[in-house]
Amino acid sequence: MSASIIRQWLPRDRRRILYAFLAAIILFAIGEAVRPGFASLDGIRAILVVASFVGLVAAGQTFVILIGGIDLSVPWVLNAASILMVTSSLGQDARAIPALALTLGVGALIGAVNGAGIALLGIPAVVMTLAMNGIMQGLTLGLSGGMTCTSCGAYAPPVIQAAVHQGLLGVPFVLWIWIVVLIAVSFLLAMTRFGRATYTVGNNARASHLAGINVSGITILLYALSGFFSAMAGIMLVGFGGQAALGMGDPYLFQSIAAVVIGGVYILGGRGNYLGSVAGAISLTVLVSVLLAFNMPDYGRSIVYGVVILALLLLYGREEDSA
Amino acid sequence: MSSSHSPPETVLAASGPRRSRFSHFLVQNVGLALVVALLIACIILYCVLYLVTQHRLPGGFELTSTLNNTMPLAFAGIAQSLVVLTRGIDLSVGGVIDLTNAMAALTLNGGPVQTTLWTAAILGVGVLCGLLNGVLVAVGRLQPILVTLATLSIFQGIAIKVLPQPGGAVPAGFTNVLANPNWPVSLLYIPLIGLIWAVFRRTRLGVSVFAIGNDAMAASSHGISVKRTVILAYMLGGFASACGGLILAATSTAGDATTGNTYTLTSIVAAVLGGVSLFGGRGSGLGAVFGAFVTTMVVNILFFAHIDPLYQTFYEGLFLLAAVVAANVIGQIVRRRR
Repeated sequence: MSASIIRQWLPRDRRRILYAFLAAIILFAIGEAVRPGFASLDGIRAILVVASFVGLVAAGQTFVILIGGIDLSVPWVLNAASILMVTSSLGQDARAIPALALTLGVGALIGAVNGAGIALLGIPAVVMTLAMNGIMQGLTLGLSGGMTCTSCGAYAPPVIQAAVHQGLLGVPFVLWIWIVVLIAVSFLLAMTRFGRATYTVGNNARASHLAGINVSGITILLYALSGFFSAMAGIMLVGFGGQAALGMGDPYLFQSIAAVVIGGVYILGGRGNYLGSVAGAISLTVLVSVLLAFNMPDYGRSIVYGVVILALLLLYGREEDSA
Repeated sequence: MSSSHSPPETVLAASGPRRSRFSHFLVQNVGLALVVALLIACIILYCVLYLVTQHRLPGGFELTSTLNNTMPLAFAGIAQSLVVLTRGIDLSVGGVIDLTNAMAALTLNGGPVQTTLWTAAILGVGVLCGLLNGVLVAVGRLQPILVTLATLSIFQGIAIKVLPQPGGAVPAGFTNVLANPNWPVSLLYIPLIGLIWAVFRRTRLGVSVFAIGNDAMAASSHGISVKRTVILAYMLGGFASACGGLILAATSTAGDATTGNTYTLTSIVAAVLGGVSLFGGRGSGLGAVFGAFVTTMVVNILFFAHIDPLYQTFYEGLFLLAAVVAANVIGQIVRRRR
């Protein structure tokens, strides 16, 4: 009786989000037990700020995975954005707004090119975004002279740094931004024509096309959003660390995919939502922090990280048995 | 002799199916034909650039070093192809290469017998890694991209545990066998791989791999065990990755637990350039080997064209896209004309 009520109120997709949040809470409890103060307000705040970078990238990754795509160009789009931010603003508040617009615009443009290659030229998403990652890596290294250019060492404008390190009501601005992104993305996916079309394309692109949905247009727009959010994460990261560096985007590719999937978004598209990816980003970041609290060496963290992802997938990421 | 007696109709009839068989072969192997053409074009361009800049043609040294530098990627490409043919993807290729490379540097320092035994053991580790992937995909019913993403992290972690610092040493005999620095011995591997692939393609397992890549449901209803085939494909992939890791250790005569990382993505590039379809069921391991050589030749061409090395990945990315788009267009034309 009660089980069927639970099943009715908590369909599989919502259960997965709940599991991901539960995992985060349990991990916080373990961390607190190992190192008192881990789950204090300051501790939670610090972990959530780190999780927000993964979460922002995961927003874009959620969009493209919802139509069965993937964005492998995250590392160098993020890195290029972070360098573009410091070189175009030169650490001055007066130039922060134009630099911000430029960086986000370039991110969206690169994403749109990804989408155009996939939708119009029929290039597989893996190949298109992999090649784009190389193209952005080459451009970033080449144009910055391997980070030797004079403006490459510039700091992020104080406004941007303040966005990560200062806050309102005890919550850093970057987390407020993340909450706004969460609401906006969830609204976009659940309440708008564009969002519903995204799920439709993810379930069956051909049927969607026959139903009059502009599949190519939606694909281009979704990849543009992914580029936009990668750029946004790059900007926030540069605000967090103060300066840009080569390779700062590398960890975010696999982390963003893992966050999206742990949050219950189906890798072949059509199912899931951004709240799940947020839960995934938080639980993964808490996991890494707990392993650090255990003083676990690098290799141990890498192994446990993989094992935990596998365990979570085996718990609820399995396909229906078709064979 | 007897042909002179036979009426012309028979000759026509006899040549009819022969021509269609050739066209069938071409359509089946259009990806392979394209990558061979691409490779020849790259080699010619490379030789011209070399002649212009060095005032002589590339010789045995260039051939040997190109071969030895490419073989690890060639094996990584085969590993990726085996899995991609089943409509999967293996992101753990780099992790297996890390692990086997690290193990090679740590263990291969004894006599010939010991070295041979350890080599076999390391290949066995590669097969075990593939077994883990295959079981999780087939029995665990998880998506390949997610399984191998997680096992990549696990294998990388174990590799760093095995060899925390780059180093170790590989005996000269081992290097001379797998990646001889003085003679282009590795050239022999290519026809050998082609032969093995041709045999594999005709075995029950090979046919099953292609069948489930095209339509797993139909293959299953024709009596092919999908689970068994998928697991075996991942195991063979792990074996090929381990070969790549061993050759990498032989060429660098030392080990590093992180140099293998790049092979995850470059193996996909090699497979795609080699005409392996990411949607499964189409392509060949030999194509991936040629794809690997194309990537190396492109790097060589960029070098002799005096392109700033910082821009290298930019041109590689553009080249990959151009090659894939061109292959799409040509493939469509060939299939339409048939």
